Amino acid sequence: MLSIPIERFTLDNGLRVNLSHDATTPVVAINLWYGVGSRNERDGKTGFAHLFEHMMFQGSEHVPKNRHFELIERAGGSLNGSTWFDRTNYFETVPSHHLELALWLESDRMGWLLPAMTQERLDNQRDVVVNEKRQRYDNQPYGDWDEWIQAMVFPESHPYHHTVIGSMADLEAATLEDVVEFFQTYYVPNNAVLTVCGDFTRDEALDLIERHFGGIAPGGEIPAIPGDPNLDPIIGGTVRERVEAEVPLPRVLMAFRVPAYTDDDFCTVDVAESVLGTGRASRLYRSLVRERRVAKDVTSFVFPLTSGAGMLLAWATGFPDGDPDEIEAALAAEIEGLTSVTDQEIERAVALTETALVRQIEQVGHRADLLSMFDQLFDDPARLNSELERLRAVTSVEVSAFVERFLGPENRAVLTYVPTTEKTPTASVP
Amino acid sequence: MSLPSRSVVPPAGPVRSFDFPPVHADVLDNGLRIRSVQVGRLPIVAAMLVLDAGEGLLDGSRAGTAVLTGDCLEGGTAKRTGVELAEALETIGAGLSIGTGWDSTTVSLSCMADRLDDAMGLLAEVILQPSFPDDEVERIRGQRLAAIHQRAMDPVGIATTASRRLTYREGVPYGRPLGGSVESVDPFSPDAAAGFVAARYRPKGSGLVVVGDVDAQQVLSLVDTHFGEWTGGTERRPEIEAEPRTRERGIVVVHRADALQSEIRIGHVGQARSTPQYFPLRVLNTVLGGAFTSRLNLNLREEHGFTYGVRSRFLVRRGAGPWCVSTAVSTDVTADAVREAVFEITALVAEGPTEEEVDAARDYLAGVFPLELETTAQIAARIAELLVYDLPDDYYADYRDRIRSVTLEEACEAARDCIRPDEMTVVVGGDAEEVQGPLDELGWGPVTVEAAL
Repeated sequence: MLSIPIERFTLDNGLRVNLSHDATTPVVAINLWYGVGSRNERDGKTGFAHLFEHMMFQGSEHVPKNRHFELIERAGGSLNGSTWFDRTNYFETVPSHHLELALWLESDRMGWLLPAMTQERLDNQRDVVVNEKRQRYDNQPYGDWDEWIQAMVFPESHPYHHTVIGSMADLEAATLEDVVEFFQTYYVPNNAVLTVCGDFTRDEALDLIERHFGGIAPGGEIPAIPGDPNLDPIIGGTVRERVEAEVPLPRVLMAFRVPAYTDDDFCTVDVAESVLGTGRASRLYRSLVRERRVAKDVTSFVFPLTSGAGMLLAWATGFPDGDPDEIEAALAAEIEGLTSVTDQEIERAVALTETALVRQIEQVGHRADLLSMFDQLFDDPARLNSELERLRAVTSVEVSAFVERFLGPENRAVLTYVPTTEKTPTASVP
Repeated sequence: MSLPSRSVVPPAGPVRSFDFPPVHADVLDNGLRIRSVQVGRLPIVAAMLVLDAGEGLLDGSRAGTAVLTGDCLEGGTAKRTGVELAEALETIGAGLSIGTGWDSTTVSLSCMADRLDDAMGLLAEVILQPSFPDDEVERIRGQRLAAIHQRAMDPVGIATTASRRLTYREGVPYGRPLGGSVESVDPFSPDAAAGFVAARYRPKGSGLVVVGDVDAQQVLSLVDTHFGEWTGGTERRPEIEAEPRTRERGIVVVHRADALQSEIRIGHVGQARSTPQYFPLRVLNTVLGGAFTSRLNLNLREEHGFTYGVRSRFLVRRGAGPWCVSTAVSTDVTADAVREAVFEITALVAEGPTEEEVDAARDYLAGVFPLELETTAQIAARIAELLVYDLPDDYYADYRDRIRSVTLEEACEAARDCIRPDEMTVVVGGDAEEVQGPLDELGWGPVTVEAAL
């Protein structure tokens, strides 16, 4: 049982605040979750939430361009932000005597961002994002896999149909007016959670938070998510795509719709995924890599998404002369075979998850991020403390029933990469 | 009371001191060095065994032997098959993580504190009694060959491999890929693994670091129980003469048809971990390309939008590792990016950093030090570094003071001594048809084109 201390407050403008004290190391983490991500993007505006995240580092009324980075680095801190389907987060970890600096910087861009936004900065960051996409997606073998998989698992009307990085054509069309509107709609205190975790004095922290964030006006109601977040629990068949591309080895990816992260059953999904693909005793490694040797590596993970459904995914990379059909059959057999999960396997999965979670929360930055997440998604930051109990309660009967219902051919997307000898790829993402 | 204006940067509060946690040192009769740190915030322990078994020991024909031997440890022990070993470890929530570098092999695990006895038993079993069954070695060799094949088509792998090869004179280990080549991996066998273990996995020369919710007496007693029977020592390591391939500057394009981006590497032979200029170099590198607000990133990313990011690193090893600036840029701005990077490097060497930059870099490096020591695994890795490089146990006690005492003059001197723009090799992994002309037009140095292997 974890016992992370948590105190919760809400400012008058709606900003939710969590304080979690730990003075082991003289560092403090500041973490902000804004309730906006790629799922909030409308048609023709894909990728904008992420581009906007970049703009949040371009200065604000009282902070010139690059000054945010300079001040935090000068203070001996680390910082970043990230955009995901359901949220955008911003975070700093600083030596504890610089707490106010980090709060001031975060509050300035929450309250006073727009005066710093210029066409030049937008153009510059658009170029940076185009390079980010090329580096991470387009110029990488298999780099476009999630563009394919999301489009296969989620229907076009669904907010998870498109990727976080979005379409470069949409980004080309983004304007300063879009920046203003997005900011005024979503970057408001009533759509954010602020967590401070680490070495601080409670009253001083509260006072600083009130002083820096208290004067920021609340925004309006957050618009409904565009498109249709409702969808059938399963895909309703096997969807497949075959991509011939400049990849070194054949790879088969298999993805499934699973219950949403906020669903009570999600911990069953987590445990099933661990049994399937976490560790060297996992089913995929043991069967595909160690025994049958159809794969050189295997991976599995879940996308813990909240709008209608999440996603479970596994892939296997074959050897140079590997047969993709054989890899696919082996992958499918192991996944379907999970109905025979044993208590020992569940015990191992829970033990590995326990170590991984405790290792994760050793860092105040990760701890703060989890607290923000549990607050934003569950309205309950203290859920972190009971996370392990929920996992330990999962039974083999539950895992088996989940596998039976969700991990069969009626709910499967199969994406196969095969190496081409041609220079240019023969397929492009729909 | 009137509140301060938002325009004023808030002042820092009183500084809370940070000391590297006390390290308890012991040595077993067999020569195994033990280092432990008690950190009781969470019920977790990180253990890290460092073996004097790096790739830098090996000549080219055996390249990859250290990496493969480490990988093959999961194949099983005298008591357990590979599957049984994995199950035993994972039942206690511990995964074995094996990292092989140029200077050492590290075998590490994390587990909940109440499972440490079992975990140490398994760790010892893996190191003292590995079994290397034929079919497991055969499997892992096959996986390594497939990984080599994979790397040969990976843009990052292609550029980095070429850059290392073009940095060092033929025969210098650092010039080859860490995991070896098809030719050197192909003959690997269970005998090769067992031979390497017999020669290099020895208590004298190795060290075991244990950090977490456990006290020094418990650590000593556990290590003695599980590693007490281990015997032997390693032979002296050969020195690595890290001679450069060339002292002439030049640009080499490794051609990848239709590449959307160019992977750029700029550098030459750098410094050894033992360099007396270690601290000035860290400060200097922070100014050049070690942080977000470094010169290279502000220019290439924030001013020009050429890239998602760029960095500079001195990879310090027992011998002189490479100094390397790396980035990925759009194909059409490749020559512009090379020009700007070379400009920044050259200017930094010619004029040196400013007092303000040195000040900021010192503050940054001294400030982030505790941030990098939050977790048991981070602390263990820092201490392991001392064992690998024969640094004193109290090395970190004045680490921040040594960072803060770097002077402007020392940073300028480090730039002049350790960065030689006229000797840099620029490697561009990209579409030669698009980038060769503009690179020629730079007039910075001769441009040659190679085919990607």
